[in-house]
Amino acid sequence: MTDQTVNLEQAMPEAKTAFGDQRGIGVLVPLAILAGWEVCGPFGLLPRYIVAPSQIIATWWEMLSSGELIGHVGASMFRQSLGLLFGATCGTVVGVLAGMFGPIGRFYEPLVSLIYPVPKVAILPLIFAWFGLGDLSKIVVMTISIFFPTYIAAYHGAKSVNKIHLWTAQNVGASKARLIRQVVIPSALPDIFNGLRIGLALSFVLMVTTELVVSTRGLGYVIARAEENLRFDRMYAAILTIAILGFCADRLLLKVREYFLVGQLLSKDRGHG
Amino acid sequence: MSQTARIVPISSGISRPSQTSSEPLLRVEALTKTFDRKGTRVIALDKFDLNVDDGEFVAIVGPSGCGKSTFLHMLGGFESVDGGTMSLNGQRVSRPGPDRGMLFQEYALYPWRTVMGNVMWPLEVQNIPQKQRIEIADNFISLVGLTHFKNHYPNELSGGMKQRVALARLLALDPKILLMDEPFGALDAQNRELLQEELERIWDTSRKTVLFVTHDIDEAIYLADRIIVFTARPGRIKADIRIDLARPRAMEIKKSPAYTEYRNHIWDLLREEVLRAREEYAS
Repeated sequence: MTDQTVNLEQAMPEAKTAFGDQRGIGVLVPLAILAGWEVCGPFGLLPRYIVAPSQIIATWWEMLSSGELIGHVGASMFRQSLGLLFGATCGTVVGVLAGMFGPIGRFYEPLVSLIYPVPKVAILPLIFAWFGLGDLSKIVVMTISIFFPTYIAAYHGAKSVNKIHLWTAQNVGASKARLIRQVVIPSALPDIFNGLRIGLALSFVLMVTTELVVSTRGLGYVIARAEENLRFDRMYAAILTIAILGFCADRLLLKVREYFLVGQLLSKDRGHG
Repeated sequence: MSQTARIVPISSGISRPSQTSSEPLLRVEALTKTFDRKGTRVIALDKFDLNVDDGEFVAIVGPSGCGKSTFLHMLGGFESVDGGTMSLNGQRVSRPGPDRGMLFQEYALYPWRTVMGNVMWPLEVQNIPQKQRIEIADNFISLVGLTHFKNHYPNELSGGMKQRVALARLLALDPKILLMDEPFGALDAQNRELLQEELERIWDTSRKTVLFVTHDIDEAIYLADRIIVFTARPGRIKADIRIDLARPRAMEIKKSPAYTEYRNHIWDLLREEVLRAREEYAS
């Protein structure tokens, strides 16, 4: 962790002046695309599988007010949150321990290199065979997948604790348990949060992927059925819902990060946005 | 710093030099340290001896790479010892312990804790009750003149202020001996002088034993009762000089003839060693 990070705009002021200070510039392009998309709708310029934004919103609102959407969201989020909880907890705890204790690190490091690149979805049939077709198998896949990015982040965080910080703790006579709790974990926390952010995004991806394969409820299920019935408006409504949920979860995580890293984030970046 | 009157360390705090025993507080005998650098054995410290009495302020100066910082780290228990012994109050030391408090050059504060949280930390580790903890920390924070900043985080402070917090934390730990490893080395000249004055003032009221490693001759003379000049590698004692300047010392002391004499003497000694070190690197 470097102590002084400089924002690119501060380091290269000329890059900033190219577009001036117009904050709206970033919103302009997506808005233009959205408007063009909408205008094309009524003129029949869109292929069947692309639905005008207003139509998507209308369907989305209909599904929301009928209570249908809430049920699917609940089913999806149940699996997603448990998968994230188990995966991130295991990954972070094992990662910190592996970073602190050499033998644990030496045991896990090659295993991680071996298994991380394998897409966990590839062993989905195996997991379905072991854990059934219900929630459990989906949670297991998410747990395994999320373990890796959170493990790697926590491992590096715990490994790169400032030597002087460790010495200071030993100097004061802190026990090993206190050292981990009050020095190693706080120093590793910025890295741990980076891992959690990747894990969070991954949990949403896997939530939908596993539901697309087999499910009777959930947002992935809505997408699969909508495609079968050529109800593309419903498909887009489900995708919109996933995007909204993902966005809110990510923002929430950034807020939590800001709360926990208050001292460390001073004079540094505060995430994206 | 207007709070000269409020120096009331509450904890078991200040130990006056005990004149009863002739045993020095710190006894270092035949201390040896070797490094393995690309297959060749480098001797950093060669059978190094040093005795320090209770209440002495000892500065260690020497050319860079002479092993003076290594010695301090060994004494702190952070680096292994390859030969010889060190004992504090007659007890052998080998591992880090709160009886030897360390002040590092930089980055020693925990950025996730406020000034108050940092100073209270050693007290927390020692299981001192919350109320007393706050009282002690408040005291030392005011001693270093940072009362208004006690709820700030280290990243909000300047280098000099950070080092003051580290000093307050060290004093709160209340060690038998203070080990300072070029504590003001990263500061600019003005801040360094301010902190030197402050350390002199604080030390004058507490008279704790200090081992102070520095490469700055002026700093050493101004602060210390005794200056150990290290030889170039392998580190041995080249000279052991007593500084007889009255305390409390003001910065003006640097203009006195006695001071200048010490300065010239030590400068000559160091110059020899620096040149010797350079020759060694060249060959």
